[in-house]
Amino acid sequence: MAPAYDVEFVEREERKARFLVRGVTPAFANGIRRAMVADVPTMAIDEVRFIENSSVMFDEQIALRMGLIPLTTPPEGEFVEGDTVTLAIDVEGPGTAYSGDFVSSDELVKPADLNVPIIDLKDGQRLEAEADAAMDRGKSHARHQGGVAVGYRHLQRVEVVGDRDQFEDEEPHIVRGVIEDDGELVPTSEFDHDLTVRYPGKEVRIEDVPNAFVFHVETDGSFSVEELVTRAIDSLEQRARELEDAVQL
Amino acid sequence: MSYKCSRCKRDVELDEYGGVRCPYCGHRVLLKERSRDVKEVSVH
Amino acid sequence: MMVPVRCFTCGNVVGEHWEEFDTRAKEGEEDPQEVLDELGVERYCCRRMLVSHTDLVDVVSPYQ
Repeated sequence: MAPAYDVEFVEREERKARFLVRGVTPAFANGIRRAMVADVPTMAIDEVRFIENSSVMFDEQIALRMGLIPLTTPPEGEFVEGDTVTLAIDVEGPGTAYSGDFVSSDELVKPADLNVPIIDLKDGQRLEAEADAAMDRGKSHARHQGGVAVGYRHLQRVEVVGDRDQFEDEEPHIVRGVIEDDGELVPTSEFDHDLTVRYPGKEVRIEDVPNAFVFHVETDGSFSVEELVTRAIDSLEQRARELEDAVQL
Repeated sequence: MSYKCSRCKRDVELDEYGGVRCPYCGHRVLLKERSRDVKEVSVH
Repeated sequence: MMVPVRCFTCGNVVGEHWEEFDTRAKEGEEDPQEVLDELGVERYCCRRMLVSHTDLVDVVSPYQ
């Protein structure tokens, strides 16, 4: 029987979220983190055919820039690793070629950000290319990494233990992350990461709450944070199942 | 082989007798034009 | 040459903010710190990508 996990959001946006998970071991928390970084497949350009490039940058440099543009990743099951989608671009100078100038062959896969400059074209210069986007994992190349700046911290419990000595120096007491005060979750940014601002003149004790982790997750735009987390957990589950099958006689 | 004269910007065809020289303006610096082939590049 | 598409350190997409940052803070008079805060470029790894960048396309294009 799987234990019930308690998940609580501290901050929640489309591409950025912070949430508290209770009842997980540090090893499992790190497993989720690593799966988000390296094991969730995303779409990214990994082959480009240049028909014309008279810009100031080399084909290879432009190909690298195209590869780093985040593409929306289709819902699970629509694509498998190894499938490709073709995106075409044709821009003539003077002007700048943007990621939004890509025309995709599939509505599900298109640039997630439309304003990323690819190359500045001068009068008479032209960029015409076809790019193949493929599904792969962050393990193989950073361009396939959906999670950006994924990390976690222990939830910290703050307890007031008494009054500070009258003549004691008021030194800042810096804490970063999310604290728990009488069951209430408070991001430290609310009081400038300084406990003496929140508890003036008080003596406080601070301790890590066992098995409670505050995750900070951002995505590059390939999918929403929820999608990233659920896919990471699915991949973890799938690998655990593979191991189980392999171990069985 | 198709080249482009770097001074008068005209297209120049070279053969093995004329040497490296623009037949229109006599300039000796010629630029090789990019091939019309489609170039396939994999993103590294 | 051109702005890097992503931050070298964390992988966040910073290229899309370049043009606004350039017009407001580099060519304009606004405080770069405030512009970066407004653009949502939070971490100092991403901030240095925009602050330290110089466009070189105009410098090299005469030699094409």
